[in-house]
Amino acid sequence: MQKILSTTAKELLLLVRDRAGLLVLFIMPAILVIVITLVQENILALSGQRQTEVLLLDQDGGVFASTLLSSLRQMKISVHSPEQGEDLQRLIADGRYQAGIIIPAGVSRRLQQEMAFRLAAGDHAIDGTLDTASLSILFDPGAMAGFRAGILSRLQMAARAAEIEMLAQELGHSLQARLGRLNPGAPSPLQADDSLKQTFSHSFTTITEQPTTTGTATISDIINPVNQNVPAWALFGMFFTAIPIAGTILAERRSGIAVRLAGIPVSPLQLLAGKITAYLCVCLCQFLLIVLIGIVLFPHLGLQAFTLPENPMVLLPLICACSLAACGFGTFLGSVCHSYEQASTLGSTMVVIAAALGGVMVPVYAMPQMMQRLSILSPLNWGVNAFLDLLVRGKDFLAIGHDLARLLTFFAVMVILSWKRSSR
Amino acid sequence: MNPRDPGQDPAIQTAGLIKKYRLADRPALTGLDLTIGRGEFFGLLGPNGAGKTTILSILCGLRAPDGGTVRILGMEYRRQQRRIQERIGIVPQEIALYDQLTARENLIIFGRLLGLGGGRLKERTGYCLEIAQLHERADHRVASFSGGMKRRLNLVIGLLNAPSILFLDEPTVGIDTQSRHLIHRQLQGLHAQGTTLLYTTHYMEEAQELCSTIAILDEGRILRQGPPARLLQESACHSLEELFLGLTGKQIRDI
Repeated sequence: MQKILSTTAKELLLLVRDRAGLLVLFIMPAILVIVITLVQENILALSGQRQTEVLLLDQDGGVFASTLLSSLRQMKISVHSPEQGEDLQRLIADGRYQAGIIIPAGVSRRLQQEMAFRLAAGDHAIDGTLDTASLSILFDPGAMAGFRAGILSRLQMAARAAEIEMLAQELGHSLQARLGRLNPGAPSPLQADDSLKQTFSHSFTTITEQPTTTGTATISDIINPVNQNVPAWALFGMFFTAIPIAGTILAERRSGIAVRLAGIPVSPLQLLAGKITAYLCVCLCQFLLIVLIGIVLFPHLGLQAFTLPENPMVLLPLICACSLAACGFGTFLGSVCHSYEQASTLGSTMVVIAAALGGVMVPVYAMPQMMQRLSILSPLNWGVNAFLDLLVRGKDFLAIGHDLARLLTFFAVMVILSWKRSSR
Repeated sequence: MNPRDPGQDPAIQTAGLIKKYRLADRPALTGLDLTIGRGEFFGLLGPNGAGKTTILSILCGLRAPDGGTVRILGMEYRRQQRRIQERIGIVPQEIALYDQLTARENLIIFGRLLGLGGGRLKERTGYCLEIAQLHERADHRVASFSGGMKRRLNLVIGLLNAPSILFLDEPTVGIDTQSRHLIHRQLQGLHAQGTTLLYTTHYMEEAQELCSTIAILDEGRILRQGPPARLLQESACHSLEELFLGLTGKQIRDI
């Protein structure tokens, strides 16, 4: 035990003295989590989960345009008008706005005439096509397909709502005129246009999101994109500790320390255990730092705060298992590589691939079928899945048992392979 | 004879030692027989690729031979590796130190890994710092040391466990005359105390001055072995270098 602790103390001392190494281990993952969460906050905006900004050029100035505008605002779309002399096409092409809507002049008047004509015609057939209002929409060529589809569908809903409102108004006028003809001088029961308009614009069907329950926990109240991002990117940072671990192993091999160590009565497994213990502490501190950033700093940056489960200690075994998996990977990397350059290139590439495959960058459900099947091979997938189970899906510790077992098996396999190689 | 190390077995004894590396076209060692008595200062000389490092690696337990037997203080690695390792010290050719730690921290860490603790560790650390003449710089980081200081610290770490046998792989490469002189003095002191030393070097004068016995090695076998004076007398050479070149040739090996 003394030998393991001595190795741990030595590793920690070396880390404390290595400022650049500390920067890589703590500051870089912290910056990564902050930047990625802020960036993803913007992606949420693009996908409609936050307020979206569009440019609207109203050449109509009538009732259709004003109704459309209020409908869009109800749909959390922030509508801006181009300044005097600004060209909407240019603003979109330059990427200053991602979408622009043009309401041509005379749309309200044409729609009103068309509706009045059709209501007056009653059951009589009308020859010719319908005279519809044509709106134009422009997109920044760099806008994503999901964003385009979202804006288009909301614009169609808003246009439909404006049409219904205008139709209700026209219907009120039309009925009033007919009743007046049938019984001149009698008070009309449809004097109040507004009540008819409200009746038409009211939606009789409502959609309510039900809280999802898993066993005893109700989790809809804890769904929080920060809770999805923070553990995923913390895990990504944790796996990058594999590179400094491999670096220490390679430095010892290059400097002849490995020869000295091989000649003293201490087993390679004890040395690995000491190293892993030190880096386990590093990973735990790294995770703690990132969680603190999520809780304390994020609200000041306009993000939601990271929410811990009711019993935060339930996370500890998972964080330890993820850290061990990362450390195991580091020892393996150090044992198979011949130089630090090789370890850093191979290590970072493998971590990025494992992160991409594991659902850190893109959710697994959004991947093609083949990639979804492959994602099960990534230790980061096991970690992310278990964190989502605990933090987002509200599951209990038993539910993550299989992911914990996979992480610990991965760690054991990596350490055994490293031990075999260093014993050769 | 070392008072800590009673017994009749030689310090080192090998018989029929064979080693062949996987990609090499010829064996590194071809049935090497070597006996080094307790308390000897044994110099191993040979051109690059002669097999010196391979012998040292096998004797230190870092590599296993493909054939033959090795006995260290009468014990075999296969059965008593830990006991052997407790009684040997290794001074690698490279500066095997943690640069970002101080001299004292390096000594304490290696001491603890050797199983030392408490008063014994303190005593051995103090002794090592004293003989390396690094007392004043004990709490400075190794990265700030000169080449000679690093070499001296590299040497004394091999002495932390007061070994019965000390293996030294070219311990004076690339250092100033003063540090070399100090290292020579310390090694002679250890020899006088009864420690067995196995020393590889390319410096002929150094071997002639320090070693009680030398072996000239080439192509994995010993060409000559004995006290330097006797070897010179038998070969009628004026210097060890002349004898060495006569036995191993003048052709450059590592081309």
